[in-house]
Amino acid sequence: MLHSHLPFVRHPEHDDFLEEDWLYEAITETYLPLLWVFEKLVEDKIDFRITMSLTPTLISMLSDPLLQERYLKHINKLIELSHKEIERTAWQQQFQNLAIMYLNNFCRARDTFERYKRNIVTAFKNLQDLGKLEIITCGATHGYFPLMDACRDSVKAQVRVAASHYESVFGRKPRGIWLPECGFQPGHDEILRESGIKYFFTDSHGVLHGTPRPKYGVFAPVYCKNSGVACFGRDLESSKQVWSSVEGYPGDYNYREFYRDIGFDLEYDYIKPYISPDGVRINTGIKYYRITGTSMLKEPYMPQWAADRAAEHAGNFMFNRQKQIEYLNDFIQKKPIIVSPYDAELYGHWWYEGPMWLDFLIRKIACDQKTIKLITPSEYLAEHPRNQVITPSMSSWGWKGYSEMWLQGSNDWVYRHLNAASERMSELSRSFPNVNGLTKRALNQALRELLLAQSSDWAFIMGTGTHTSYAVRRTKDHLLRFTRLYEDIKSSSIDEEWLSDVESKDNLFSDIDYRVHQ
Amino acid sequence: MGIVRKIKKIVEKAAERRKRSKNAAKKTVLSKKTAQRPLKHGRKLLVKEKIQEEALNILETTVEKTKFSTPEPKRIRQIVHELPGGYGKDKIVLQLRDPWWLYSFWEVTGGAYERLKQQLKGLFFSAKRVLRVYDVSQVNFNGKNAHRYFDIEVNTEAQSWYIDTGGPGRWWCVDYGLRLVTGEFITIVRSNVVQTPLDGPSWETDEEWMIPEEMFGRLYGMGFGVGQSSPVGKAWQERVKKALFSGVLSSPGITSGASPVKKKGKSRSFWLVVDCELIVYGATEPDATVYVQGKKIKLRPDGTFTMRYGLPDGKQVIPVKAISSDNEEERTITPIVTRETK
Repeated sequence: MLHSHLPFVRHPEHDDFLEEDWLYEAITETYLPLLWVFEKLVEDKIDFRITMSLTPTLISMLSDPLLQERYLKHINKLIELSHKEIERTAWQQQFQNLAIMYLNNFCRARDTFERYKRNIVTAFKNLQDLGKLEIITCGATHGYFPLMDACRDSVKAQVRVAASHYESVFGRKPRGIWLPECGFQPGHDEILRESGIKYFFTDSHGVLHGTPRPKYGVFAPVYCKNSGVACFGRDLESSKQVWSSVEGYPGDYNYREFYRDIGFDLEYDYIKPYISPDGVRINTGIKYYRITGTSMLKEPYMPQWAADRAAEHAGNFMFNRQKQIEYLNDFIQKKPIIVSPYDAELYGHWWYEGPMWLDFLIRKIACDQKTIKLITPSEYLAEHPRNQVITPSMSSWGWKGYSEMWLQGSNDWVYRHLNAASERMSELSRSFPNVNGLTKRALNQALRELLLAQSSDWAFIMGTGTHTSYAVRRTKDHLLRFTRLYEDIKSSSIDEEWLSDVESKDNLFSDIDYRVHQ
Repeated sequence: MGIVRKIKKIVEKAAERRKRSKNAAKKTVLSKKTAQRPLKHGRKLLVKEKIQEEALNILETTVEKTKFSTPEPKRIRQIVHELPGGYGKDKIVLQLRDPWWLYSFWEVTGGAYERLKQQLKGLFFSAKRVLRVYDVSQVNFNGKNAHRYFDIEVNTEAQSWYIDTGGPGRWWCVDYGLRLVTGEFITIVRSNVVQTPLDGPSWETDEEWMIPEEMFGRLYGMGFGVGQSSPVGKAWQERVKKALFSGVLSSPGITSGASPVKKKGKSRSFWLVVDCELIVYGATEPDATVYVQGKKIKLRPDGTFTMRYGLPDGKQVIPVKAISSDNEEERTITPIVTRETK
């Protein structure tokens, strides 16, 4: 299970906006490399199954013409830079080979991007239509549901907007959902059922601490008590092998070092056109070193060594799953399932060799053994419809397993405002059950602003304590826009010019219906 | 209504206190009034000077006719980038942080306090602001049927609080109110009810899906990735807790700016990095063809050129050859550069 998400960042009012780079980097380093892996597997007739969430905000950005245009600009600059790098490294063969590798990757990225007419969502949709990917949805703007529980109308809106957005993009209802931050609160499953969603995931303790005890632990799904929606619990062993900074694969010394980027390493005047327009050094994506060891001294990256290691790690991962399943087969009377969810951006962005590792893994599972098989949750449920009924426990996959990441001294102030705005939104949708024209536009925009303010990303960034000003600003901006819309709607004094401006900036979910918030 | 009656009774009981507190009340009201005055003045000033006013979200101002040539005064709006301090509603909300801790935030409007002041008279000023935390597990809470409760005294300005319940798997409700010197508690606002999750496996099992304790223990340990060893003993429990609560197994993706899987190499407090690059530059006829180390390079429109190389240790021989457009003439200049790093 790969969870792909980025918060909605789109600033038409600025020519260049640093945080938009999150999207551009993710396209180049994660989404396209994953796509290449999947497309090649199809071409080679290797059967596989991957469950993948694409959040509504991410889909909205990937489908947005302005951001598509800007991505092209971004990748063209990288291509220009890699040409310069090839020239500059003429006397340093190891580096030049890498510069050529980057040039090829960037050109390939641009080609693929153009091939899908700049909208790579189409590419993922094709893979779903082929039956290889199962694309699931997420909260509309990745709001953290457990902390919205005091006003459940907002949870409903997050789910309903996401489900109808999914349907408009993929031509069918979403079967499953990745709850934002894997955050589950008992009762929210009933909201999922209402939108036709058949399953979701929780972290291990969501199932293991459920009531009554889950007979098969996390190795079989359970149905939620009142809703009948299925819940799959995460297997921590397989998670740790990839995630852990101590024992995990990505820390291998032969893998590429993330923190040595030419944006920081090279002489200032030379690199200046490719870093932040205000002159602050940032990552460019071109990195020449391998992790090497714990010290600051780094050796040049050797792609073949890294590829060998990725193959080795894929073999190790498969071996461990086989052992796990063999062990489980001995005392579980049904086919066990192992759920291994990861942030998609881990693959390629943080762990450069991640997509390659996944490629090796899928090929090995398909060709080298018979103990385990890749499966989607839908397929598993179709094969094994009889499952235990329990109430999973409130949980998340965040720091310490519950809500503390999004609820601590640095970010708890947002909930007072978010809660008030949620209640006001419910008040609006009840007071205006049937309106048209300008009022309807304002109501729809009010819901967009509320949803955007709810993104868990803002509270998360505030929680990490570094570069928090953008997150604070976004939270306030959306809340202020919401507040103004609320007041304008109530006093029938909507300023159309201003509304149009806000609509053009926060332009996602064009078909939104404010009445879903009740 | 019950509260009003209760308040009346308390007020009567505490009759002798009234006189003393009256004076105190007057004083407070007075000082409040004076405190407000400069604010009002200030507000006008601030609007004129377009300085942001914190308490107001949006200010509407009328632009003076004299300043602009527009025939009619136009209403413009100025957005002030601050959120309101409150929303004018008496309200308390309870949120879950984890199996043990809750978070609560509240707002009590000035109007609500005024009413309480009038009803309680002097008792109001000596009262403590208190959060009363009720354990309302499995009950339909009506204010009286909690299993137990405990109080947390909070300071007057506090508008939020983290509450240590120490009770996983219980239902909780919180009142924000006043505890009078008489010991009586007066609820101002009552929260929603939340249920803390369990911090371990449930003791409840169902008949159809029974599992022996020992087997469940193994599955439980496996689910947390701590192996299939015997599920007893403190060390094992510690490992599960560590696996569960260390929380290193997820990230928000790219927005965090710090790798979830690779620790940034630790640098010593002082450090130095030195590298060399070599710039080879020159000029010729704009229509000439130029080769550097045998590789054709691009000239600027004015015939100048610049090449930039990362310079490794060792000797670099760099022949630069220019050929005229009619292929009649040729010039070669060969700089030789040696880098030696000690």
